[in-house]
Amino acid sequence: MKVKIKKWTGVAVWKWTANDDSCGICRMPFEACCPDCRIPGDDCPLVWGQCSHPFHIHCIMKWLSSQQMAAAQLCPMCRQGWRFR
Amino acid sequence: MLEVPPLHIQTLLSTFQAVHCHGLEFLLLNGCHFCLDVCFQLDSIDPDLGDLDDEEEAWEEEACTIRPRRLKRKFLFHTDDQRKKKFAPKMDVDGLLDPENKRNSLTNRNGVHKSPGINNTKVGNAGARKLVIRNFKEVKRLSGAHEVLSWIDKPMKLTDDYLETAWKSLYEAVVAIQQSKPVSTSKEQLYEVVENLCKFKMAPQVYEKLLHLAEVHVSGSAERFLQYPLYLLLYRNVIQHCRETGDSETLLRIMDKAWQAHCQQMIMIRHIFLYLDRSYVLHTASVASIWDMGLDLFRVHIISHPKVQSRTVSGLLQLIEKERAGEVVDRTLLKSLLRMLSDLQIYREAFEHKFLEATDELYAVEGHQLVEELDVPAYLTHVKRRLKEEDERLLHYLDSSTRLPLISCVERQLIGEHLTQLIQKGLEILLEDERLGDLSLMYTLFARVKEGLKELCTAFAAYIKKKGRTIVNPSDAEGDRTMVQELLDFKDCMDSVVEVCFHQNEKFVNSVKEAFECFINQRQNKPAELIAKFLDSKLKAGNKEATEEELERLLDKVMVLFRFIHGKDVFEAFYKKDLAKRLLVGKSASVDAEKSMLSKLKQECGGGFTCKLEGMFKDMELSKDIMLAFKQHVSNMKNVPGLDLNVSILTMGYWPTYQPCEVTLLPAMVTYQNIFNKFYLAKHSGRKLQWQPTLGHCVLKAYFPQGNKDLQVSLLQALCLLLFNETEEIGLEEFKQETNIEDGELRRTLQSLACGKVRVLQKIPRGRDVEDGDKFVFNKAFTNKLCRIKINQIQMKETTEENESTHERVFQDRQYQIDAAIVRIMKTRKTLSHNLLLLELYDQLKFPVMASDIKKRIESLIDRDYMERGRDDPNAYSYVA
Repeated sequence: MKVKIKKWTGVAVWKWTANDDSCGICRMPFEACCPDCRIPGDDCPLVWGQCSHPFHIHCIMKWLSSQQMAAAQLCPMCRQGWRFR
Repeated sequence: MLEVPPLHIQTLLSTFQAVHCHGLEFLLLNGCHFCLDVCFQLDSIDPDLGDLDDEEEAWEEEACTIRPRRLKRKFLFHTDDQRKKKFAPKMDVDGLLDPENKRNSLTNRNGVHKSPGINNTKVGNAGARKLVIRNFKEVKRLSGAHEVLSWIDKPMKLTDDYLETAWKSLYEAVVAIQQSKPVSTSKEQLYEVVENLCKFKMAPQVYEKLLHLAEVHVSGSAERFLQYPLYLLLYRNVIQHCRETGDSETLLRIMDKAWQAHCQQMIMIRHIFLYLDRSYVLHTASVASIWDMGLDLFRVHIISHPKVQSRTVSGLLQLIEKERAGEVVDRTLLKSLLRMLSDLQIYREAFEHKFLEATDELYAVEGHQLVEELDVPAYLTHVKRRLKEEDERLLHYLDSSTRLPLISCVERQLIGEHLTQLIQKGLEILLEDERLGDLSLMYTLFARVKEGLKELCTAFAAYIKKKGRTIVNPSDAEGDRTMVQELLDFKDCMDSVVEVCFHQNEKFVNSVKEAFECFINQRQNKPAELIAKFLDSKLKAGNKEATEEELERLLDKVMVLFRFIHGKDVFEAFYKKDLAKRLLVGKSASVDAEKSMLSKLKQECGGGFTCKLEGMFKDMELSKDIMLAFKQHVSNMKNVPGLDLNVSILTMGYWPTYQPCEVTLLPAMVTYQNIFNKFYLAKHSGRKLQWQPTLGHCVLKAYFPQGNKDLQVSLLQALCLLLFNETEEIGLEEFKQETNIEDGELRRTLQSLACGKVRVLQKIPRGRDVEDGDKFVFNKAFTNKLCRIKINQIQMKETTEENESTHERVFQDRQYQIDAAIVRIMKTRKTLSHNLLLLELYDQLKFPVMASDIKKRIESLIDRDYMERGRDDPNAYSYVA
């Protein structure tokens, strides 16, 4: 043995798992942020419903709050009842 | 009268004393006359209104001791009510007490002031105090005076021939004075004769006679001056002499003598006829005072003679010219003659005009000649000296009314006429050599003439632009490297010039700014890039030349340059790339400096500009926290390879985009990496991690026969080195297979290990470049002084690639920005002509764009149906909703 690793400093970039897709509500790619935000990342996170559809959290919250009846809060993609995963 | 301030009384008193000393007895008498009147009035002041203080009382006392007998006479005057009434309003005590007037009468200038303000109305008020005379002694009168005095006491009838007799004595006296002979009658008597004549309303006749007498004398002397053989001879000689030697002084001296004599005579005459001057003349508007009459006669009969005048004036001019040529001349003579001209009120017509013409001519010639001969600093010093000389001339003999035209004439001829030439010839050299003293001189001189500073400012700006362009567009790559430092030095230099020499003149400060902004943006993008790189080099660790304060100052200066840059996005891209490198490799010199730079940028360009940069710092801090938690997590696990792992986790949007690449890690490393992945994803659901092997780095412990070393290397270098644990000799192909590193990258990595400064590998065969089929062995003979060695990656090629990609990205971003701006504008305007759209775009966009680029973007937007061409006007666009 001639060489041994003492210390390793690595670099990793994190992305959303749904990265290749775009948000069903605002049509922006998940890689980018919702139209109300300026910077993607922690400040504009994604959420998944039980139906496994992801949205920008700002987009889905806006959608949900625009729904009249709380009971009828549905996923805009599949019309199942929306529940956060 | 009641408000006579002590100062006036003092002046009066000292005047009397001065006159006394000079032996002009009768003036003193007259003076005392008024003085006592003042005294009397002061005494009669209501004690409530104003107290005589000690000083004034002392003066009163002194006045009494000087001429007690006048006092007595005065006393008599005031006992006689009628006389007093007659006398008091006529007295121009106010004018007399005016120090200005007093001085005038001493310096033989204008005569009596016809001052309208006779405000001694309170004289003789009720409650007048008794005048106490201390140390009073009766002095025996002269017989003549006695006689005259007796008229005053008892009413007197004048005989018909009184005028004749009286005038005869006066005539004799005047003629004696005119011939500079002693006057036989005492002047006091003469004065009283005049007084009497006036009182019996014979003033007009006396004035007439006096005028006639004076006129005859003056015109006679003028004729003598011109025709008398001796004078003529002298005169001719003088002219001859003047022509031969240029000496005009003798003529001037004669003139001066004549003038002085005339003045003295007129003063004497006036003193005798003072009463006339103050009563009849003062109240008759049509006649001039005796002094003015004298001046008038001199003007009309002597100086207005064309020959005399022209020769005097040309003599004066010659004398002044001589002085200007550096000779010493009699300034008192000049002063006296010029004073004469202004007293005669022909200074302006007769002298000033010609003088200014001569000056103009002289300096025009001198200016043209010296501008050619001398270099600029010498010329400027010369001009400064000239101005000083002229100033002295004004101080010493010229009339102060000449100041404005004279100085402006010199300024115009010596500076104003040569502005362009001086600037062309000298400014650049002065600035180049940083001759601050000469530059300040130039500024102060140019500030004197109209347009001077404007021209200087324009030339200054032009110089900055010219010099700046050569800095910004260097002929070789070497210049690029030093460009920013040169720019900083240049800016420093110009700033100090503006501060020291140009007095921080706002125009110059602005023109420096404008000029810098202009030339720095003439070369697109490169300066912005170089400024970012310059900052990188200063903020990198290992740059220990500067203390923190120095660094801070330097950053401030760089910010000034940054402000001039139009394409700030280019700067941001490069700065971001460099900052990322500094943060990831841990090369940043000081977090404080980084943060302060960030806050400066934020201040300059707003939060939008720096939010990504701030995000990078945030990422680094978050990563630290995560690593702490991870270490704790690992310490609770079993069967973990002993490896010290630190991971920086980056948020996509903040950092520059890195090309993903896959390499084969050692199994131990892969295990460890997976442990971390699991740990991280458990904490943050919905995410995935993409590792960037190109950015990672390691510290390796290497065991050499000569000693053990710590090697600080990149992850790729580490991977290559780790392969030597298994075998002795590895070929290029094997490396490729084992590590899966991209070919170009692998070659560079191996080159850095085997052909760089620090050679831990040996290449077979030897050579600078890595070729196919090359083999590598571990360098057993490796030695190095240091214990911890950093092996640099070979950057050259990478940088050009990076550079291009950074530029590429910037241009891409710009395209989006242009698109967005066009759509924004069209959305608000609905329809807009091409040119107006361009105008608004240039306004909105913060980076330089070319019209052709914009056209392309408009085409593309039309293709994408964001807008369309106007149906009627092909040069207009309309927005498509």
